[in-house]
Amino acid sequence: MNTNNIPTQSATTLIKASIAATLFAIVVLVIVILPAEYNIDPTGIGKILNLTSIAEASEITPVKEASPAEQTVSERTDTVDIEIPAHKGLEYKLLMEKHAHLEYAWTTDGEELYFDFHGEPRGDTTGYFESFAITTSNNMKGSLTTPFAGSHGWYWKNETDAPVIVTLSIKGSYVLKP
Amino acid sequence: MKPSSSSFIRLLLVILGLTASFALLAHGVDEDTRQFLMVHQGTSIIPFMYIGAKHMIAGYDHLLFLVGVIFFLFNTRDILIYVSLFTLGHSITLLYGVLGGINVNPYLIDAIIGFSIVYKGFDNLGGFKRLLGYQPNTKVAVMVFGLFHGFGLATKIQEFDLPTDGLITNILAFNIGVEIGQFIALGLILIGISFWRRYPGYLHFSTATNTLLMSSGLMLIGFQLSGYFISQN
Repeated sequence: MNTNNIPTQSATTLIKASIAATLFAIVVLVIVILPAEYNIDPTGIGKILNLTSIAEASEITPVKEASPAEQTVSERTDTVDIEIPAHKGLEYKLLMEKHAHLEYAWTTDGEELYFDFHGEPRGDTTGYFESFAITTSNNMKGSLTTPFAGSHGWYWKNETDAPVIVTLSIKGSYVLKP
Repeated sequence: MKPSSSSFIRLLLVILGLTASFALLAHGVDEDTRQFLMVHQGTSIIPFMYIGAKHMIAGYDHLLFLVGVIFFLFNTRDILIYVSLFTLGHSITLLYGVLGGINVNPYLIDAIIGFSIVYKGFDNLGGFKRLLGYQPNTKVAVMVFGLFHGFGLATKIQEFDLPTDGLITNILAFNIGVEIGQFIALGLILIGISFWRRYPGYLHFSTATNTLLMSSGLMLIGFQLSGYFISQN
């Protein structure tokens, strides 16, 4: 069976159905969808229904945490503020070659965070990672010579009810992982 | 309702019961999913399966098309054949699109997906029979539109610039997830439609339902094309 056994509607019904479908689609598009999605509101009804505020809210683009001008593996320094949302964990990773050197220091505004400073070998598919430090602290300072090429970085977990800002200063040969 | 389709639905209900608990556990992970895809490296099968399944269940465009496809399919065998053709179609282009690095504009592809819904709605009204004197091969149509839906799925996963580590495994996992999601969604649709089919209202309202389907497809086209023109400016 390469066709479906379906009732064939009369030409009048078909025309009526097509026109009704098109009209309904246009009305919903113009009054609801376009105002809410794109802030296009030719009738002004979207504004009355407060739908345009949805589009306006999404036009504010979130600020990226780190936007380095260049991503090369030469020696560089960065200072970034990383916001760990309340009751959430966040990873911040650097891509580094083997035996690359990194100096780092991070501090919070006082709150203590559980963290895991670790590295994952490049190309590893088993989920293996090596932890360099796991503890709870509000700051840490040190240096790392990577044991293998891959992504190295921190996982912070914020168990408090408010977001915590981690200020991280790093110096070394790395590429910030987007 | 035929006994074969009722046993099929019973099987689906059992599977739905098993999967529903997982869906509940993972409720509200949207931002986490995004975060995961951004920082993720290497292979992870289950998360990608989950993301695929979730996309399909939440993907009303794929679901509307499926509603159109199975609207006049009354036995399990036909449903399986048509859904398999759709699956084959979208799996080919999903894998080809991501692995071949094919970049299709997501707005245009989503507009075509919208068109597939309009097409199926019109087809279900017997529109092509009336207009052309014959109904175009419905199996070919479902397969061809499956190809377009696959490109649509590919653009969704390509948004995230996936690392090449374990890409093939991750995409296969995503694809399997999509099929699981489709299976669950199809189960829900079939349960609803099977109950509805017991009443004479089903055929009575089939014109209205398929008109509404066409209308939804047109809305999607308008929505996506507007997005396309805005993004070009």
